[in-house]
Amino acid sequence: MIGRHPHKNVLGLRWQPAFGGRAAVLSALRLAGTFCLIATLAATASANTEALHARIDQLVAARMPTEAAPPATDSEFVRRIYLDLTGCIPSTAEARAFIDSADSGKRTALIDRLLASPQYARRMQVFFDLMWMERRPETNVPNAEWAEYLRASFAAGKPYDQLVREILSADGTDPALRPAMKFYLDRGGDQNLVTRDIGRLFLGRDLQCAQCHDHPLIDDYKQEHYYGLLAYFNRSSIFTDKANQKFIADKADGEVTFKSVFLDEQPRSTPPRLPDGPMPEEPKFNAGEEYVVAPADGVRPVPKYSRRSKLAPELTSAERRDFRRNVVNRLWAMMFGRGLVDPVDLHHSENPPSHPELLDLLADEFAGASFDVRWLLRELALTVTYQRASDHPSIDPNQLPPQSYCVALLKPLSPEQLGWSVLEATGVSASYRAGVQAEIDGDTKLAHILASDEARQRRGIEFAERRFFERLAPSLGEFINLFGGPPGSPAPGFQATVHQALFFDNGGTVRSWLAPSGSNLLARAAALPDSSAQVEEIYLTVLTRRPDIEERTLAVDALNARPAAERPAALEELAWALVASAEFRLNH
Amino acid sequence: MKCTYACQTAEHLVARRRFLGLAGASAMAGAGVLASPLGAFVRPAAAAELQSKQKRILMVYLAGGLSQLESWDPKPGTDTGGPFRAIPTSVPGIHISELLPQTARQMHRLTIVRGVNINENDHGRGSYIMHTGRVPDPSNEYPHLGSVAARCLSVENDPLPGYIHITPGGGGGLSSSDAAFLGPRYASVTLGGGQPPQNTVRPDAVTEAADLSRQAMRRRVNDHFARRRRTAETEAYTQTYDQAAELMKRRELFDVTKEPATDAERYGSHDFGRHCLLARRLLENGVTFVKVSHSNYDTHNENFDFHLEQLGEFDQAFSTLVADLADRGLWDSTLLVVNSEFGRTPGINQYCGRDHWGTAWSVVLGGTGVKLGGAYGATNHNGTEVKDRQVNGAQLFHTYLQAVGLDSTETFDVSGRPLPMADPAFGPIKELLA
Repeated sequence: MIGRHPHKNVLGLRWQPAFGGRAAVLSALRLAGTFCLIATLAATASANTEALHARIDQLVAARMPTEAAPPATDSEFVRRIYLDLTGCIPSTAEARAFIDSADSGKRTALIDRLLASPQYARRMQVFFDLMWMERRPETNVPNAEWAEYLRASFAAGKPYDQLVREILSADGTDPALRPAMKFYLDRGGDQNLVTRDIGRLFLGRDLQCAQCHDHPLIDDYKQEHYYGLLAYFNRSSIFTDKANQKFIADKADGEVTFKSVFLDEQPRSTPPRLPDGPMPEEPKFNAGEEYVVAPADGVRPVPKYSRRSKLAPELTSAERRDFRRNVVNRLWAMMFGRGLVDPVDLHHSENPPSHPELLDLLADEFAGASFDVRWLLRELALTVTYQRASDHPSIDPNQLPPQSYCVALLKPLSPEQLGWSVLEATGVSASYRAGVQAEIDGDTKLAHILASDEARQRRGIEFAERRFFERLAPSLGEFINLFGGPPGSPAPGFQATVHQALFFDNGGTVRSWLAPSGSNLLARAAALPDSSAQVEEIYLTVLTRRPDIEERTLAVDALNARPAAERPAALEELAWALVASAEFRLNH
Repeated sequence: MKCTYACQTAEHLVARRRFLGLAGASAMAGAGVLASPLGAFVRPAAAAELQSKQKRILMVYLAGGLSQLESWDPKPGTDTGGPFRAIPTSVPGIHISELLPQTARQMHRLTIVRGVNINENDHGRGSYIMHTGRVPDPSNEYPHLGSVAARCLSVENDPLPGYIHITPGGGGGLSSSDAAFLGPRYASVTLGGGQPPQNTVRPDAVTEAADLSRQAMRRRVNDHFARRRRTAETEAYTQTYDQAAELMKRRELFDVTKEPATDAERYGSHDFGRHCLLARRLLENGVTFVKVSHSNYDTHNENFDFHLEQLGEFDQAFSTLVADLADRGLWDSTLLVVNSEFGRTPGINQYCGRDHWGTAWSVVLGGTGVKLGGAYGATNHNGTEVKDRQVNGAQLFHTYLQAVGLDSTETFDVSGRPLPMADPAFGPIKELLA
């Protein structure tokens, strides 16, 4: 944070040529002090017609304590953007084509292509599933239906606020939205669990500690906030009809009272109310007239006034900047490796954003762009900040505050990213993909239908992608078990365990993927004419970069020192070493 | 800065008081929550000193629910007592079931907690209470005692898993839910059927020369990357491969057949005997937490026949393990906990069975940190309720931690969220602590 580096701020600003006009304003302001500078910047930024990505860069630059790192190389960029937007490293051919292209607009073109790909929707599905469900075991809503609901939502560009409204208001009466009930149903309808997770996941406030008392460390988090959220759900429960279909049912009565376990006080009561939101006017009905459908045995009651149904519109309304700030902060963290508010579920006044004006700008622009996730990610990806190198020519990056974004932060791959990337690198994905395509092509009727017009062609691509994803899913199990966190908790911070290393060292999975077969990586490499080409193919495929001269020489010499019969084994050793490296484990 | 307190430090005490609301300190709260996930919870600097007095925990878990009446708290001659007699033990005045004759001779090394009431009769929930010291709450999962021990008692970067669970039957691997917010590093590693952990043998397809060659290449790639960028994450990740190599070198640790045949005979030629011997081997070699499960005690039918048979195995292996750990000087540094998810009903059902009973049953402690050679608390004459010194799962959990020298009132910092190590509504059973 800039406040921690008062001796460095402003003077170290690095200007991008495109911002020349602003540079003049800023240099005039340098003497005026940081506070004034930021206030002015925020004011000018909000009145600005420049593209959002340019304004983001200005706001990040304004708080930089020192010179930023240069742009990432094409290799670094292509790996990073594929991992962030599709969840997987690029194929060898994609990497080679991008790195070798002389097109000056190729980064923007790639961002647009990836955001339009079916893999983008898949990546968002997995990201939001993990965020919202946290690997909870499947109970009421089948994972496959939920996954498809999320995937289709992101593929269709459904606005984020609408998605959240569906998830928080679906009650089973609209068949198309049944999967959206998962958030509630697969938490067993547990009031405390639902309350905690709505606070954390949609408002960025972990109110758990406020269940029993005002938060002991965070003055902003009150017990009344917790119970205000809980009051949206205290009249709700899971209803199962005769056909064993699940619904959410509401009653017309039931109040919420609470008191601090630390204080000898009278119990307090609260209506459903968002933190610091207005006191609601709750309609009153005469006794006997509260229900559209009255409670009875085997009947799902429908009250005239449902507290639960108030949550979705209130939470996503224009008044709730915290709702917008939460989601843009989480998407920022996905792209940049750290939230502007960090940790992402502790938004409060004593844990301010590293760039408050930036967070508000993103939140408001996102809302202004109809909560279009694809648009926001595009703007983030287009920033100079995102496209910066993860190393620095003159400063040890560990000496830089991570929230300065002077260098790109290293992001550990999620278990899914890691598993997909190992499958891609070893060439297993390609063979699965080819297999799925052969199945579709072999089904002449299906192939004919899918090829008949453009919309169907697109559906055909999605269909193939879906089948491909389903085939790969079982292979991800070991990665999730070894690299993932426990069900029902936020993904843990980076933890390296000895079991992960043992899995790569001795496990059969990766070994079988590496063993030369069909057209996988090692079969392909072995068929190349010379050691140098083989080394390059393996580096480019696994690490998405060509070896530097030193690496190439070392690897080629090592290969050539082995008798011809040992060459395949030597190539396998090289590929394994790259897959097991820290460079592969991280998005950099 | 708040929340940067470590295990066993004085800072925490202060932070703890603040947590309880005894002192407002809003100015510091913001700083506290900036701490990295778990990273702030550092180990004390004097790791070497800690190693010299490293404490361990052995948990013997009698799955399904041991009958306290056929074991630690017999009520012969009453309406609930069943057919077995009570016998004297090495501690004058303490009697246990005649099904445990060899264990009776070790009673001076043990203490029976006879007034356990967890008010829970469900297997899953009871098990959760007895492993975590918490009442189940879906919105708050807590780590097992084994994961807390692995986190707070193990030496940093020890290649050995900190929490090992030896179970009958097959299966194995990592159970990350046991560690909850502490993370997979402290998860239990199951040795299903006493087999070594997964992936600890270099496969035949990879020769030693090939392994050396590929590991050397891996190090080169890592060094190359570290020249560009070196972080705590890259260091931690590369280090795990060294730990893996170290663990593989010590793989014989998991091979119980390396123990003398005469010892195997003393423990008994059944799985539980072999598993107790393996537990001895693991504890002797510095594993922090070993849990040995014996199943299945869920005797809704034929309770007496089953206990006769099961406890025959248990008595031999368990008493031998206690005697061996004591003879080998490990009793001063190892805490023993013998528990179940609950006990069994005093009432005998129509199938000669006993049902689930969490309201008046027994847990046994031994080893370090606790007073030995007696019984703490008591049930009434026919075991239908606790009449003296009733304790619950949370108090026991505090007591286990205090017995191995941990301050159970400490708090973990997880992404800025203070999570008490043990249920703050309760404390340890002070009369039990040595």
